[in-house]
Amino acid sequence: MDGEVILLDAYASMFGMRLRIALAEKGVKYEYREENLPKKSPFLFQMNPIHKKVPVLIHNGKPICESLIALQYIDEVWHDKNPLLPSDPYKRAQARLWADFVDQKVHTLGRKTWSAKGEEQEAAKKEFIEALKVLEGELGEKPYFGGEEFGYVDVALIPFYSWFHAYETCGNFKIGTQCPKFVAWTKRSMQRESVSKSLADPEKVYDFFLILKKHFGVE
Amino acid sequence: MREANNSSVVVVDFWGNGFGMRVRIALEEKGIKYEYREEDLTNPQRSQLVLDMNPVRKSVPILIHRGQPVCDSAAILEYIDETWKDGFPSLLPRDPYDRAIARFWTDFVDNKVFSTQAMFLRSKGDRAKEESKNELIGELKQLEAVLGDEQYFGGANFGYLDVVLIPFSSMFYGYESHGNFKLEEECPKLSDWVKRCLARDSVRKVLPDSVEMYELHKKFYGIE
Repeated sequence: MDGEVILLDAYASMFGMRLRIALAEKGVKYEYREENLPKKSPFLFQMNPIHKKVPVLIHNGKPICESLIALQYIDEVWHDKNPLLPSDPYKRAQARLWADFVDQKVHTLGRKTWSAKGEEQEAAKKEFIEALKVLEGELGEKPYFGGEEFGYVDVALIPFYSWFHAYETCGNFKIGTQCPKFVAWTKRSMQRESVSKSLADPEKVYDFFLILKKHFGVE
Repeated sequence: MREANNSSVVVVDFWGNGFGMRVRIALEEKGIKYEYREEDLTNPQRSQLVLDMNPVRKSVPILIHRGQPVCDSAAILEYIDETWKDGFPSLLPRDPYDRAIARFWTDFVDNKVFSTQAMFLRSKGDRAKEESKNELIGELKQLEAVLGDEQYFGGANFGYLDVVLIPFSSMFYGYESHGNFKLEEECPKLSDWVKRCLARDSVRKVLPDSVEMYELHKKFYGIE
């Protein structure tokens, strides 16, 4: 019925976590295959020759790469249960835009909080908090970015929470105290089984992060 | 705000913006009448309309439908396809996997091709220029492989990925002049596809003159 679903992933990948959450929300049975980053398997290169990255969703032998594209694919194929994107075209456009904001700002700036040095790092930390505050503004008084229901933007964003411990430790700053509304939303989201089961443990993420840092030669 | 509500569909864009051309071509393909508002991107200061309608990114294109703004060209294309659906030609295919493929190559165009061509136009020195030129040609060849022997990226019909990529063709003359090569020799199938697209009213109406596009980019990238 669901067909053969394989998720090529890495435990600490926030992009992979998105797909784990979505598949859990939809109740889809799948085979999870861990990639041993930074060493990549030939199978990964075969499934994602262009970007050579995880996650890759493989449905009935056909690969879907890029997490937001795979997220939309999951939502369209398993459209009957827990829809992630709203049905109204305008609201869908807004959701797509905010998911893109998460990729452009939260991810890029989050990475800079540990990879940059000196003034550049300080600027990145400040901009990262500002980006979270913009998201707080968008959330407003709603329980989720999707409104009453946990949705597309929530799925796109919540995995980054598992990386906050790594960002805070490396960047020597506190995120939660500056963004209380954001913290409240993360707690609410973590109450969902799909999220609590899919998110990587922050300590394990930090360990992986240290390996990554060494691999990229950042001290 | 009052001005934007006069028309049901308004497009705020710049004549030389490839991302905006996509939006205009999509509307033309669907036969949707729209009011065009030019935003002068050669002026670093953004207009109040853009600041009001797109406060987060402050960029164009912006589609304003019934007074509500939709931003980001890919999101706008999907909005256009979803809003003007029944009785209109479709941009995205029906099958979820085909849709994922169209979105994947759109992401490739937006994130790889766009930055490679910027790097190519910006490059200083013969070696850097040659390297980035080869990278750009390589990426165009990858897209050509996706096209295969089909008429369009959408198969028999002009579709989403065609709309996404065709605006770049207005800079092909510029790339050729800058890099001293002929795209027809490097990517013959892609060149045929460009000719096929240019035969469409929507594309002919929206795409600017190639020489003017190159002059615009020369100024922007500081090319002699």
